[in-house]
Amino acid sequence: MTTSQKHRDFVAEPMGEKPVGSLAGIGEVLGKKLEERGFDKAYVVLGQFLVLKKDEDLFREWLKDTCGANAKQSRDCCGCLREWCDAFL
Amino acid sequence: MAGLSDPELRRELQALGFQPGPITDTTRDIYRKKLRCLKEEARTRNEERLREEARLRARPAAASHRAEPWPSPPASSSACVTAGAYGDLGASAASWSKSRNLAYPARPVPFRRHASVRGSSEEDEDSRPLHRAAPGLGTRRWWAASQTPVRLPSALLGPDARPGLRATRAGPAGAAQAQPEVGRWLERCLSRLLLWASLGLLFVFLGILWVKMGKPSAPQEAEDHMKLLPVDCEKKTDEFCQAKQKAALLELLHELYNFLATQAGNFECGNPENLKSKCIPVTEAQEYIANVTGSSSAKFKAALTWILSSNKDVGICLKGEDPSESVTTVDKVVCLESARPRMGVGCRLSRALLTAVTHVLIFFWCLAFLWGLLIFLKYRWRKLEEEEQAMYEMVKKIIDVVQDHYVDWEQDMERYPYVGILHVRDTLIPPQSRRRMKRVWDRAVEFLASNESRIQTESHRVAGEDMLVWRWTKPSSFSDSER
Repeated sequence: MTTSQKHRDFVAEPMGEKPVGSLAGIGEVLGKKLEERGFDKAYVVLGQFLVLKKDEDLFREWLKDTCGANAKQSRDCCGCLREWCDAFL
Repeated sequence: MAGLSDPELRRELQALGFQPGPITDTTRDIYRKKLRCLKEEARTRNEERLREEARLRARPAAASHRAEPWPSPPASSSACVTAGAYGDLGASAASWSKSRNLAYPARPVPFRRHASVRGSSEEDEDSRPLHRAAPGLGTRRWWAASQTPVRLPSALLGPDARPGLRATRAGPAGAAQAQPEVGRWLERCLSRLLLWASLGLLFVFLGILWVKMGKPSAPQEAEDHMKLLPVDCEKKTDEFCQAKQKAALLELLHELYNFLATQAGNFECGNPENLKSKCIPVTEAQEYIANVTGSSSAKFKAALTWILSSNKDVGICLKGEDPSESVTTVDKVVCLESARPRMGVGCRLSRALLTAVTHVLIFFWCLAFLWGLLIFLKYRWRKLEEEEQAMYEMVKKIIDVVQDHYVDWEQDMERYPYVGILHVRDTLIPPQSRRRMKRVWDRAVEFLASNESRIQTESHRVAGEDMLVWRWTKPSSFSDSER
């Protein structure tokens, strides 16, 4: 399963202050919606992922409810975050 | 549901076996949804169980497999969490392949979730057992099955949507089992046979010993025969004379017999008097008899004549010049020999022992040889089995290495998708063991070339050198047998 360049870029280094749009699967539209809800940085979304105890299903459900992500988008985002956690957390 | 406070929500979730994280503003809705789903699932599961039981009573055999679907703890049942089109194999495979390094047990929940997610998305309550037949579930079902050994039999018995690899892995293992089985059975039979043969031989030996030891009845026989002697009265022919002469003859013969027997016995048993042979010269015998009984040579000759003429076995052999020819007249007789030498008990025992041993020797050596063969065969079988196990271990390691290499290449950490065979060998086997493991390695390479479809053996130029390489042919993610 090949990963996108965005994914690889995100997972390659600590996220620091990267915007939420740098997450894999989160494009302009979704990014804007998340920012409206207060999730303006990638680390806030990470926070949500961690608060849901890294549960994939719950996180994806949350993402769907919060910004209307579809299956692929939420899968990409979740995978990206999980891998980042594996590498840096 | 909406009226629940956070602690109450938490308690409810925990009662259904789910451990929620912090309930914050952003997570509250999600957990409420979850609780709703769990309650619904618990309800449907109860109904399902009741229905299954009813069905079981009607058709016990067939339903037993299906009654097992996910009897697992409540923690796994998130079938209702995402009812959308979330069932994709790729996700799980990708995420799995990335996180391969994590301990497998650490991620039980997500995988099971995937399985049940897919299941829920395409079934309704009634067709729950049928979801096993869905081809897409091959991996998941197998994952879940591999986690709980209890479920494994039911998974195995399910329809054959499983990856073929599992079957082939069971194949060689089964075949390897069959070979030692036959070997073991043969071993058992052979050893039992040998045991009985040894015991039988022992008894035969003792029997021979016994037979050789005792012949106490022989002299009796000879004496009985002697009682039937025709009377040869020299001087007088009346009753008294006849009887007396008969008695004298008897006595003479008896003495002769004894003498010969003892001489023969002495000869056989160590020969203390240094006799030349068992055959006593006539003159000597006559002398002895004359000393003992005081009878004349005529009587002696008469006795000899009688022995010659009699057909019965008296226990005295008359031998002439030529031992092979039988003697007909008294003049030709050169020496006398006892047919039943009298030997002491010790002597008899030792002779019997010797005879028995020599007779039995051949069988003994045969048995010893067979025992040796058995031990050797056992050793060999054990060695073969060990070698086979070592080979399979090596094959497993090689597959892992080649696959890892390929995955690394996918992540741009390696330059080529293939890896040299020698490189793999040098990675897996430390230098000091290379010679020792050569045989195992060669067999493993052979096995891979013939039996492993996911790895191709090719020849490529690697770093300027032509060498044989292994390339992982990327099949679908069903085929990972060990993950």
